[in-house]
Amino acid sequence: MIAIEVSGLTMSYGDRRVLDGIDFEVRGGEVFCLLGPNGAGKTTTIEILEGFRQRTGGTVRVLDMDPAAQPARLRERIGIVLQECGFPRQARVAELIDMWRSYYTKPRPLGELLAVVELTADRNAQVRRLSGGQRRRLDLALALAGDPDLIFLDEPTTGFDPESRRRCWAAIENLRALGKTVLLTTHYLDEVERLADRMAILQDGRIQVAGTVRHVARQAGVPTRISFTAPEPLRAGSLRPPACLDVSVSDGIAVCSTASTAIALRELLAWAAENDLGDLDDLSVATPTLEDAYLQLVTGGTR
Amino acid sequence: MTVMALNRQPLQWPALRRTIRRTIRLAVSQALIEQRSFWRSAEYALFTFALPLALLLLIGSTTAKGYLPGTHVEGQMIFVPSIIAFGVIVAAYVNLGAKLATLRHDGVLKRIRTTPLPASAYLSGVLGSTAATTLAITACTTVIGVLAFGAVPRVSGIAELAGGLVLGVVCFGSLGLALSSVARSAESASPIANASYLPVAIMSGIFDPTFSVPGWLSVVVGLLPVRALAQILQQGYTPAEHASLTDLYVLLAWSAAGCAFAAWRFRWN
Repeated sequence: MIAIEVSGLTMSYGDRRVLDGIDFEVRGGEVFCLLGPNGAGKTTTIEILEGFRQRTGGTVRVLDMDPAAQPARLRERIGIVLQECGFPRQARVAELIDMWRSYYTKPRPLGELLAVVELTADRNAQVRRLSGGQRRRLDLALALAGDPDLIFLDEPTTGFDPESRRRCWAAIENLRALGKTVLLTTHYLDEVERLADRMAILQDGRIQVAGTVRHVARQAGVPTRISFTAPEPLRAGSLRPPACLDVSVSDGIAVCSTASTAIALRELLAWAAENDLGDLDDLSVATPTLEDAYLQLVTGGTR
Repeated sequence: MTVMALNRQPLQWPALRRTIRRTIRLAVSQALIEQRSFWRSAEYALFTFALPLALLLLIGSTTAKGYLPGTHVEGQMIFVPSIIAFGVIVAAYVNLGAKLATLRHDGVLKRIRTTPLPASAYLSGVLGSTAATTLAITACTTVIGVLAFGAVPRVSGIAELAGGLVLGVVCFGSLGLALSSVARSAESASPIANASYLPVAIMSGIFDPTFSVPGWLSVVVGLLPVRALAQILQQGYTPAEHASLTDLYVLLAWSAAGCAFAAWRFRWN
């Protein structure tokens, strides 16, 4: 099942074009991350998908509905966590969740909502006494009140300490376990690596690359890095590294950058055996991280 | 085309009725939620009640009892309904305007817009809660008016009293909605509300039945909703010699203007 289908989506504010024909799809039950620098058009895209903003052009289907045409029907089936919004000043946690549940035709039971976001112990707490992380999880509980099929999270952990982020991530992982589809925007790469089944990088109003995290990392053309402690002869310069590989030595560590890991490893091990180097000490293979790929794509690799 | 139209025709009315019933149910539950939140902030509730009641006692004890100069109307029959009008304005205009401005500023309205709750249900609920608060203030004012000053509403004036209250809540409630959209911040809503109604209330003779203003100003004040509401409510206490429909038209016109402005400018964030 396809939860979200976007093709040729364009958006202009007056003369300024912020989305320049973007295409992507989000499959049912996956966590999809939309990543990009500030001002790339992430929030605009999400607001169009939620039915809050009229697009300039292109087609958009969300849960098989056109959000521009059926925003009220769509809102029954989606949950939204906005970047910033507040709570009524007098409310208590469970009360507020119950208030939200009353807005939906098929709400999720209160106890389950509290459990999913780990706020069961704080159910009678006043909302204004909650910490930033707890408020964010309450945000999430409210977004889940109507038992939505699809949840939008706009930068859910911005400005959080590591512990709060971890708990927020746990709550999002709970959503996946419940079979929900999640569309998440963020500019934290570790968040994407931790949560995303698939992702897209949005920059300057275009999708630069989309796919699984590994696919995106590969797509950026950042080489895999194989390193090992340089054996004595290599350090002394009496032994040449395999001619077909790009190996450099510095501080006693030999580093080989390659696009084809398996071939390079085979070459290296054959070379080591030939020259009686034994096992290559501290041999490690580092596939390119998302961060490497992201920086390569977004800044053109100025690293 | 024809087949579709035939198929859809019988479905429309029940669907519409379901929608309306659901909207009403949601509005009622929203009104209950708002009421709970109002009474929970005891300080807020107390002072919302205290202001008109304190004024009632103050004016009642300083204004000499007896006939107003040149009339056969007793003073308390004018100032008690005037204070009822004042209570309506405080609850529906000042409090509602400030409350909505605060909710908007805090981002609560924005959050509510992400749910399927229809805007009409939400706003009716908020207005309904305001009406309940207004009714409670009116009841207190009336009871104190009877007990302390012997101002008993006339039985045949119930229609004026009830109609005035409903119209007053609708009129000042819609103006409160409009006000919340005009105020740029939560903090400015209350000062704007007070600055806009207090001078008018004084000139309308709310706090002093004998207060007189120059003729031209009286015409202007007559076109504003404060004196119109007060005069309609006064008819609930004492039959006016010159009962006119002008007050009714003034209130209706301001209600329409308030609703139109609120619909045009209401913002969720």
